[in-house]
Amino acid sequence: MAITAGIIKKGWWRFRNTGRILREQSPFKVVFITVFALGFEIGLYLLFLDGFRFLDQLGGAGSLILNHLFALFFMGMGAMLVMSGIVTGYSTIFRSDEIPYLMTHPFTVSRIVLYKFFQAAVFASWSFGFVVIPFTAAYARFLELSPFFALWTLLFSLPFLVLCAGIGSVVVLLLVRWSPTGRALNLLCAAIPLLAGLLVWSLWQDAYDPSDDVQFTLSKLVPGLRPATNKLMPSWWVASGIVSLTRGHFLRGSMLWLLLVSTCAMLLMVIEWIGSATFVASWRRVIGSRRRSRHAPVLFPQAERLLSRIGADVRAVALKDVRIFCRDPSQWSQALIFFGLLALYFANLRNFRYHALPDAWRNTITFLNVFSVSAVVCSLGSRFVYPQLSLEGQGFWVLGLSPVKMGRIVKAKFVLAVLALLPISMALMLLSGAMLRADWPVRLLAVGLAGSISLAVAGLSTGLGAIFLDLRSRNPAAIVSSFGGTLNLVLSLGFMLLTIVPFGLIFHVRINGLLTPAGMIRAVILLSVWVTLITAATTIIPLRLGARSLSQRDY
Amino acid sequence: MISLKHLSKHYGSLVAVEDLSLEVPKGELFCFLGPNGAGKTTTIKMMTGLLKPRGGEVRICDIDIAADPVAAKLKIGYIPDMPYLYDRLTTTEFFRFTGEIYDLPRDLVAAQLEEQFTTFSLMDYRSVLVKDLSHGLRQRLVYAATFLHDPEVLFIDEPLVGLDPYTIRLIKDLLIRRASEGMTIFLTTHILALAEDIAHRIGIIMHGRVVALGTLDELIASSDGNNLEDVFLDLTSKQYE
Repeated sequence: MAITAGIIKKGWWRFRNTGRILREQSPFKVVFITVFALGFEIGLYLLFLDGFRFLDQLGGAGSLILNHLFALFFMGMGAMLVMSGIVTGYSTIFRSDEIPYLMTHPFTVSRIVLYKFFQAAVFASWSFGFVVIPFTAAYARFLELSPFFALWTLLFSLPFLVLCAGIGSVVVLLLVRWSPTGRALNLLCAAIPLLAGLLVWSLWQDAYDPSDDVQFTLSKLVPGLRPATNKLMPSWWVASGIVSLTRGHFLRGSMLWLLLVSTCAMLLMVIEWIGSATFVASWRRVIGSRRRSRHAPVLFPQAERLLSRIGADVRAVALKDVRIFCRDPSQWSQALIFFGLLALYFANLRNFRYHALPDAWRNTITFLNVFSVSAVVCSLGSRFVYPQLSLEGQGFWVLGLSPVKMGRIVKAKFVLAVLALLPISMALMLLSGAMLRADWPVRLLAVGLAGSISLAVAGLSTGLGAIFLDLRSRNPAAIVSSFGGTLNLVLSLGFMLLTIVPFGLIFHVRINGLLTPAGMIRAVILLSVWVTLITAATTIIPLRLGARSLSQRDY
Repeated sequence: MISLKHLSKHYGSLVAVEDLSLEVPKGELFCFLGPNGAGKTTTIKMMTGLLKPRGGEVRICDIDIAADPVAAKLKIGYIPDMPYLYDRLTTTEFFRFTGEIYDLPRDLVAAQLEEQFTTFSLMDYRSVLVKDLSHGLRQRLVYAATFLHDPEVLFIDEPLVGLDPYTIRLIKDLLIRRASEGMTIFLTTHILALAEDIAHRIGIIMHGRVVALGTLDELIASSDGNNLEDVFLDLTSKQYE
């Protein structure tokens, strides 16, 4: 009991010291990040509110969707939390530097596993809070629900978070214990999202059995409606429970809450049981597997030969980064999940029958998909490209002492980021356009925009990463959430809006018949010039400033 | 106090430790030497329960660490070469946290805080976050926290890495005093002078096998050398040829 109290106290002390660390930061930085976070929340709130009003105005299907929206939202969040639980579960439970410390102190294995699980759950769920607050606030405002709605949401959200993150952790505990190690493990990890995608796809296929009820018609239009309204889904318990309590149906609401909490408690017992039985062997396996490989690397020497025409210094830096990225599953799995989910969604567009919609809607959805891809590119730019230079960390002296100009190091990082982001984003847009059977000009425009955004995000993130270099931090999350990281995300999203919104506006005007075809062509040409200019500026200026900042630094 | 019987550990085809048997009695300060990759850290990690031996047995204070790890860990202290610390705790909070996980009475922790922080010259850093400490200060904090629960057996991996001469002397004197008070100390080091200065017995490991074991005088007498460096190089230089 004292040990548990000690861990809780440690958590409290760390939380309390966060305030002290914040006070040591520049006030401008704290204010900037706070304003951005608030702006983000308010923006999301307004967006959700507008969406609810739009659905309500649609009437018919729109009103029916609204009734199920809460369940859909929690199902989507649940899926995200499980995915996030898998990624953070692996890095927190098995790869944390804290584990050797805990293992050499008198903690039982089950305590270590439960403690690290709760830590992983917190890491996995902070973004849930960012989304759930504006969503529920907008939902409550739209339906004019009582203020207690927020309390009930909190009451249900906490066990739901634990439940979803717990499922992710169980997957990780089993996978690490019984999956093959080394290259086979990497292949398996790569295959899991694909297999999961195939499973979801096949489930959807099964869900569309011929019937002509309203739910069927709706489920064609809104993916995931059937599973979201399945009464065995915890997300449905959450959505129904919150609504029940808000409407004064306390018996039903309490029953659903108890059902959720008891399921959560059972899952904790399962985690404790699996953890006690497997953790030590699994952890030793993880640390043992990275000790020595009997096989010489095959892929990288070939890549080195392929890139022999590139300058040796740039090639060396780029290949080093690729090696490190590929050898860290917590890094590449996140990128895979981001792009994998988008690819899955685009590949399934015809299952949702979006390609059968009228031309204007198909083109609009194609255009909206540019938003999806661009948002993912911005996230990846902030998550992976921005911290590239900072993650050189205490090893930066190797680059600092090497006979390579800092400008070339920045260039190498930029080229690598472009090679990673550009082909994937453009391929995804081509896939989206093809699946929707969008008009060719719209497809080309979408691909061009995705390409521009990838290029600009790569330049901006690399340049700002060099300007706000932080060689002390070894934690990518800390680098990403720093002032520079936040500024990078804000500017990337700002750039995305500056490029996409003007096109969106002229398409909107054209659909409403306020723009002639000739006027539309002129507007597209003008906007293309605009996008080209700001892409060039956003790519080149930060890179130059970043290279200059690096060359003027002390190391 | 420490009993190793036929301990072995393999990484794939690589033999890290092979058939290692060793007894370290109460109050002995034992230095484990060996070239890089000889198996020193692997041995220490098996003794602290971090690694599972392929074969053999580790007993600490007559407790099998594989059978009852928590009971064994209550008896030991371990200071790795690059110890993990909670960056967002102050030195005092880290010390108190260590007291909590060993379930020590608060008044004892408070008294020890004064004593250990004074010993390790940490009083001026009581409210400083761990992340703001230099390497030497972090090491001093680890020593202070490790001695808090008065372990019967202490394992130290490279005890003097990155420390200034003052702290080196402080730690050497402390280890000698603690051993004389009955603490069993098992340390690995590359600094042969340290072993010469403080070790009661010395073991030399190479390719996972103990190739020499005894007091400093015994080791010198058993070879043609004049000092520990000669003995060590005589035994291990073949690896580099």
